[in-house]
Amino acid sequence: MTMIDEDVLINALNDVASAFEISPDATDRILTEAQANEPPSRSRHVPTLISQPSRGRALLVAAALIVIVAGVSVPLFRSEGNSNKIAAFGPLGSRHASQGSVTTTAPPLAISGTGSAAALLPPGVSGKTLNGTGLTQVSANALKTSTSLKIESSGSIALTVAKGHVESAFTRLSKLATSDGGFVDSTEANVGSRTSGKFSYGTIVVQVPQRNFAKLVAQAQRVGHETSVNTSSNDVTAQYVDLQAHITALEASRRQYLVIMTKATTIEGILAVQSQLNTLQSQIEQLQGQLNVLSHETTYGTLTVAVSEVGHAHGSTPLTGFSKAWHDSVSGFISGFQWLLRLAGPILFAVLALGALFTLAKFARRVVRRRRL
Amino acid sequence: MEGSTGVDDLQAWLAECYPQSVRTAYLILGNRLDAEDAVQESFLRAWKFRDSLSKESSFKPWLYRVVVNTCNSKLRHDIPRREGRVNDVNLVDIATYDDLPGRIALSNDVMSALRDLPVHLRVVVVLRYYADLSEREIAIAIARKQGTVKSRLNEARSRLALHPALRSESSRSSTTSKEVTG
Repeated sequence: MTMIDEDVLINALNDVASAFEISPDATDRILTEAQANEPPSRSRHVPTLISQPSRGRALLVAAALIVIVAGVSVPLFRSEGNSNKIAAFGPLGSRHASQGSVTTTAPPLAISGTGSAAALLPPGVSGKTLNGTGLTQVSANALKTSTSLKIESSGSIALTVAKGHVESAFTRLSKLATSDGGFVDSTEANVGSRTSGKFSYGTIVVQVPQRNFAKLVAQAQRVGHETSVNTSSNDVTAQYVDLQAHITALEASRRQYLVIMTKATTIEGILAVQSQLNTLQSQIEQLQGQLNVLSHETTYGTLTVAVSEVGHAHGSTPLTGFSKAWHDSVSGFISGFQWLLRLAGPILFAVLALGALFTLAKFARRVVRRRRL
Repeated sequence: MEGSTGVDDLQAWLAECYPQSVRTAYLILGNRLDAEDAVQESFLRAWKFRDSLSKESSFKPWLYRVVVNTCNSKLRHDIPRREGRVNDVNLVDIATYDDLPGRIALSNDVMSALRDLPVHLRVVVVLRYYADLSEREIAIAIARKQGTVKSRLNEARSRLALHPALRSESSRSSTTSKEVTG
């Protein structure tokens, strides 16, 4: 690469720069102006960003840090709070109530068509479930209606029976259900490795009328040796009443549209009214379906009985000793890992934000320094 | 020279550095009046903020930093908004001090080439080859890394060598150096 000779450049620059005389008055002017503008005291703080980091800057940085940390942690905790809420009111198939011994089972059909977890708890119903009693505290709003209480009950029992008696236990449980006016919803029996040709464990789901549910639970416990019993009840009266009221209102609208239909003379008018009627009909049928499901669930209580031979490790048998410790350890490890993963995103964001802030501050400092000088 | 404590120190600064500062500013700005304005402003600002000069740092790069920043400010804000001021000093003036037509022509060419350089390159060339600052001192003066200064100097010298006004001069100097080595 060709470059200009340094000596040539130096000589040329010196020649150009020395092309004029420096006015001797110029320095005097500067001195005069400096004297005029000299501050009264030298102890006055000279504003500069170069010398020492000020308290104000430290406060600014601290405030920025607080804002970033708050910005990161608030959504994080909020999301954790939401996830807890979902766990409490979430899909019934997997949830555990706040008290450890209470477990609810999934209803066969979803009640709400929206799929919202909150919709499962009707307004005005506290939903507080009492362990084992099947009673539910209902708020005053729900009790104002003339409709009788609509309670849906469910429960699960784990039983152990003597070897080779799983089938007979199933038979007894079926008889209990039918004698109480109920029926067997489903059964599942499995052959274990220790016994040949006979079922060693299985599950039977029975449904009985609500009034006989408590009786069935008591009877089922006597079929074998119970290792766990979980029952719960949920008051859906308000939801039931809401659905009924909604359907009534829609039917009234439909009747009015039918009257209008008789008075319609033009094709456009008839089509418009027909369209409205179709929509109303669809809504009525949808709500009626939900009401039917709710009605069925409040008519029959569902009991799931897991039966296993003595010595067979059934899934629902509570873990004890080392196996429990190992299970807890693994689940704790997974939870910790999930927590770390959840935390990694916000931390990364905080680091990036701090980096950006630092770069910005550095740039601003440089600009200010240039301007000051 | 350390941070001053009064107008006396400013007087000492002026006596030591004012002429060279004005000429440096002139080479950067290309105009004598602008250069004098810039340097006057620079000295006053430097004196006002003299506390920001730490005892460890050297005075000259610090002062040139103020001068360069003021020149940059003028180039950015004042000069573009003003109607074209005559680019003095006419290099014919050199003839009155030094009657060497060849040097006059070369100086004219150098000034023209300097004006065609981008400001960031012009500044490092002037600080290095006129103000005689080291690369480290230039780095302090322009608040950049030393490597940046080095690369800017190389780029500036290359551009100057390719400039039409200086191309003959650079080829002539390379020929001369070959002859000397030969």
